[in-house]
Amino acid sequence: MSAIDDAQEEAKSDMTPMIDVVFLMIIFFICIEFKVLESKLDAFLPTDKGSQSTVVEPEEQLSIKIHVQSKGIPTYKLGGPGVLSPETERPYRFILKGHKVRWEIGPKPVGSLAAVKAELDRIAGLPASMIPDKKTGGKKLMSCVIEAYPGTYYEDVAKTNDAANAAGFKEVNFGGGLGEAKK
Amino acid sequence: MDMTPMIDCVFLLMIFFVLVIDLSQKNLEDLILPRAEFMEPDESPPEGRPIINILQNGTVIYGGEVYFDPTEDGKNYKKIADLLLNIRRDGIAKETLHLVDKDIGGATAKVIDDPILIRADKWTEWHFVGEVMKQCSQPQIAFWKVQLALSDQDKETNVKNASIK
Repeated sequence: MSAIDDAQEEAKSDMTPMIDVVFLMIIFFICIEFKVLESKLDAFLPTDKGSQSTVVEPEEQLSIKIHVQSKGIPTYKLGGPGVLSPETERPYRFILKGHKVRWEIGPKPVGSLAAVKAELDRIAGLPASMIPDKKTGGKKLMSCVIEAYPGTYYEDVAKTNDAANAAGFKEVNFGGGLGEAKK
Repeated sequence: MDMTPMIDCVFLLMIFFVLVIDLSQKNLEDLILPRAEFMEPDESPPEGRPIINILQNGTVIYGGEVYFDPTEDGKNYKKIADLLLNIRRDGIAKETLHLVDKDIGGATAKVIDDPILIRADKWTEWHFVGEVMKQCSQPQIAFWKVQLALSDQDKETNVKNASIK
């Protein structure tokens, strides 16, 4: 075999391992996409209901009410109300279009999420919002309670809670929301 | 004999099964969770943490099985309470859930010290989530460490948190 033949032999590279690796990487990244990054919000429930034997002075709370302005129309890409998907045996998912809520922070009506954030920021900055902390003896920002009225969705509550957290409210409680919306 | 293709195939199968098992063990329904910026990442959840899924129409699913369907059960929320009682009983028997004494206003009560995760679709009426939370707070059930599942990206609108590149 001549030296020229040797050089040609080296130039012919085998593509198979590279294609294998590329496929592996494609599959890996596709699967990673399916793995949704989830997070959690601690919504610890009060444990002092029903079994209280001593009277505890109620702490001052900021009330955030969510009212429904327009219920919205469920829009289905596939299927319809009450139709089950044959593959998953679960109802088809809808997107709620035109759903609108309004808020009431304390006594003040608020019309948009941006305004809710601004109002909560303002309240968190007020000296009157600081209440005595019984555990440490210092001061802490008062807790707030989100009261979701019938017809509100998890999305509304989650966004409101997020705005409260952004403003620095550490303790967020949930109230109301029980009872169905009038059809 | 060239072993490379066989090793490749074995690796592929391994990756596939690891991911499939990982997804199926979490008892997660295909839901779109609301996006939130300020929340804790759910990176290392305690083993055996119960996960309650709530579909858009209020159907409560645990471990892939339907336990409450509002279209059939209406307002018979006892089914949710029964499910939570069973989870509590099984969890205590398997020692994945632990009871602690909590001093509540001078009296001692036994409550579950481990969290429970509620996953609901972003377009689930809040009263369905509220009802599960209400049942969790019943004294005989006493799951008080309720966690609500959120996501850092909204799969419906594809809006992501600024922290994700």
